[in-house]
Amino acid sequence: MKLLEYEAKRVFSDYRIPVPKGVLIREPGEIEAHLSEFGDAVVLKAQVDVGGRGKAGGVLVVDSASAVDRARELFSREIRGVPVREILVEERLEIEHEYYLSIAVDRSTRQPVVLFGDTGGVEIERTAQEDGSAIRRAVVSPLLREVPAFLMRELLGSAPRDIAPVINSLYRVFQERDAMLAEINPLVTTPDGVYAADAKLIIDDNALGRQGIEVNRDLSEREREAGRHGFSYVELDGTIGVIGNGAGLTMSTIDLIDYYRGRAANFLDVGGGADRERVMHAVRLVAGLPSVKVILVNLLGGITRCDEVAHGIIATDVGVPVIVRMAGTNEEEGRRLLAEHGYRMVDSMEAAVRAALEAGE
Amino acid sequence: MIYGDRNLGVIVQNITGRQGRFHTELMNAYARETGWKGIVAGVAPGKAGMEVDGVPVYNTVKEALAEHDAAASVIFVPAPAAADAIMEAAYAGIELAVVITELIPVHDTMKAIAYAKLHDCAVIGPNCPGLLSPGECKLGIMPAHLATRGDVGVVSRSGTLTYEVVDELSRAGIGQSTVVGIGGDPVIGQTFVDVLARFEEDPHTKAVVLIGEVGGSLEEEGARSTDLPVVAYIAGVSAPPEKRMGHAGAIIEGGEGDARSKVRRLSEMGVPVAARPSEIPGLVREFL
Repeated sequence: MKLLEYEAKRVFSDYRIPVPKGVLIREPGEIEAHLSEFGDAVVLKAQVDVGGRGKAGGVLVVDSASAVDRARELFSREIRGVPVREILVEERLEIEHEYYLSIAVDRSTRQPVVLFGDTGGVEIERTAQEDGSAIRRAVVSPLLREVPAFLMRELLGSAPRDIAPVINSLYRVFQERDAMLAEINPLVTTPDGVYAADAKLIIDDNALGRQGIEVNRDLSEREREAGRHGFSYVELDGTIGVIGNGAGLTMSTIDLIDYYRGRAANFLDVGGGADRERVMHAVRLVAGLPSVKVILVNLLGGITRCDEVAHGIIATDVGVPVIVRMAGTNEEEGRRLLAEHGYRMVDSMEAAVRAALEAGE
Repeated sequence: MIYGDRNLGVIVQNITGRQGRFHTELMNAYARETGWKGIVAGVAPGKAGMEVDGVPVYNTVKEALAEHDAAASVIFVPAPAAADAIMEAAYAGIELAVVITELIPVHDTMKAIAYAKLHDCAVIGPNCPGLLSPGECKLGIMPAHLATRGDVGVVSRSGTLTYEVVDELSRAGIGQSTVVGIGGDPVIGQTFVDVLARFEEDPHTKAVVLIGEVGGSLEEEGARSTDLPVVAYIAGVSAPPEKRMGHAGAIIEGGEGDARSKVRRLSEMGVPVAARPSEIPGLVREFL
C-alpha cells in the first residue's frame, strides 16, 4: 500500500530524516494559525495519490498573504481526476542542490538496492534513460543493518558527506517498515542542511498487519470485499466475467479472451481449496458488475474439488449465462451435477473462451 | 532429474498442519508408486512423538536429521514463522528447501534466502507448488497424475498454469523430466537462471518450457543464461499496469515488466513464444 506524502514524511521524521516544517490542513482557514511559523512564502501540496502531481498543478509556491485564498482554490480542484481533501502546507526551503535517493527490492539479486543520483526532481526518469551513469546503484545484503562505508562512498561520489546518515536512516525505514519502495526525490541541500523535500513509501501488502495498518486503501470497495472472501480480484473494462483458480491460469484465461478479441470484465482467483460457499460468493461478486454479460469459470481441481465448485455454481441464480470448464479432482461428479442443472460444460480452456464469447454477443 | 531423484529423503516442516498432513499423504502415495524414499520425518515444534501417515514427528529439524537421512525439506509453515523455518532447515544442513507458504513479507523472504545461501541451502519458492520429477519424486503439491516421464523440463512462476501446460504436454505425448514451480512472489530463491542451469547439467532434459508472467525481468535473464532450447509462454498480456494480478510479484511497475515487452525481448533472443498454452506442445516438438 502506498502512503501519502505527509504520512511518509511522518515515518521519515521518526527515523530522524529532516523534513520541511509542515502542517496538514483539511480546510483553507486552518493555515492562518500556522502562518507565523513559515515566513513570507509557503508551499501547498495536494495530498492525492496520483503520478505527476506537480505538473498537474497539485503543488503551488505561494505568498503567505494569499495562502488561504490559494488553498481554497486548490481544495476546489481535482488533480488528474482525484478531488483534493487534504493539503500539506510546508515552509519554502532555500534549495542549493537537488539529489535523488531511492531504495527498492531488486528481484534479480533478491536484495535491497540503493539508487542515488546527482540530480533529482521530476525529470529524473528521463535523465536516467538518457544517461545511464546519472544514477548509481548498490545492492546491500538484507542481513546487514546499514549500508557499508565503501558502498556509501561509491553511491555518494562527490556529493556532500552529510547525506550519508540520511541514506542509512532511509535504509532502516525500508527494512523496519517492510517497504517495497522508500524514496526521497528530491533530496535537497540547503544552507541549514539536508532535507527530504518529497517522500514516497510503499508498504508490502503482506506486512500491513504487523505494521499496524488495517485497511489497504489502494483497493476499491469491491476489491476489499473480494479480499474478505480470500479472493484476488482486479476490475477490468470488458463484458466477460472471469473466475479461475490460481493467478497464472486466471491471467492466462483473460489473455485468451483477449486473443480472441473479447474483453474480460475482471480477474478473480478463488484460490486453492475453494468450497461451495466461496464459489457462490465469487459468482455473485462477478455477476454484480453491471458490464458482465456472461460468466466464464475455468478451474483445475487439485486441492479444489470440482463437485464442490459445481454445488456452489448451482446455488447461485445470477441471470447471466455461466460457462464452466473444470478438470481434476472429482471432475466427473462435478460435470454430472452441472449438466443436470442445464449448465454448459466445455472440455478445454480454448473451447470455454470461445463459448463465452458467443454467449456474450 | 534435477534437485533430486528417488533416493532423496525428505522432511516436512509443519507436518501436523492441515496442508502438511494432506500433502504428506499424497507425497507418500507417490513414493509408493515410484519407489522413491518419500517423507522420512516431520517437524512440528512441541509435537515430538506423534506420527502423521506413519511418519515420525520431531520438535526440530536438527532432531529429525539426527535420526533420518534427508537432504530436502518441504515447508508448510504459516507466513509469520516461515522465514524462521527456512533458516532452521538451512542451519541444520538441509540442502534444498521447498517453500509452499504464501503471503510471506518480502523482507522476511530476502533475509531467509540470504541466510540459506550462507549455509549452501537452495530455496525453491516461496508461494510455489514445488517440484515434480515424474516417476522419481515429488516435493510439494503438484497433481502428479497429469505428468508423464520424458525429456522436457518445465519451469514456471505459476501453479495452476503449470498444471494446464503439463496436461497439454502429456496429452500431446510429450513427457517431462522435471517440473519446477519457482513461485509468484517478487523475491524468490531459485530463479529461472538457477533452474535452467540445473536443466543444462541434466542428461534427461532436451528442451525447457519457461512459463512466466508480468512483473520483473527474470524470464529474460533466464532465457539469456542457457544454451538449452527454450520455449516460452508469458501470462498477462492483457494485464493493466500497477495492478497486482493475484501473485504478489505479478505487477507492472514503473513501466517495467509488462508481458508484451517480455515477449518481444524473448523473441529477439530467438526464443519461440507461444501466444496461448495450447501452442506450447507444437513449439516444443521442433526441438525433440
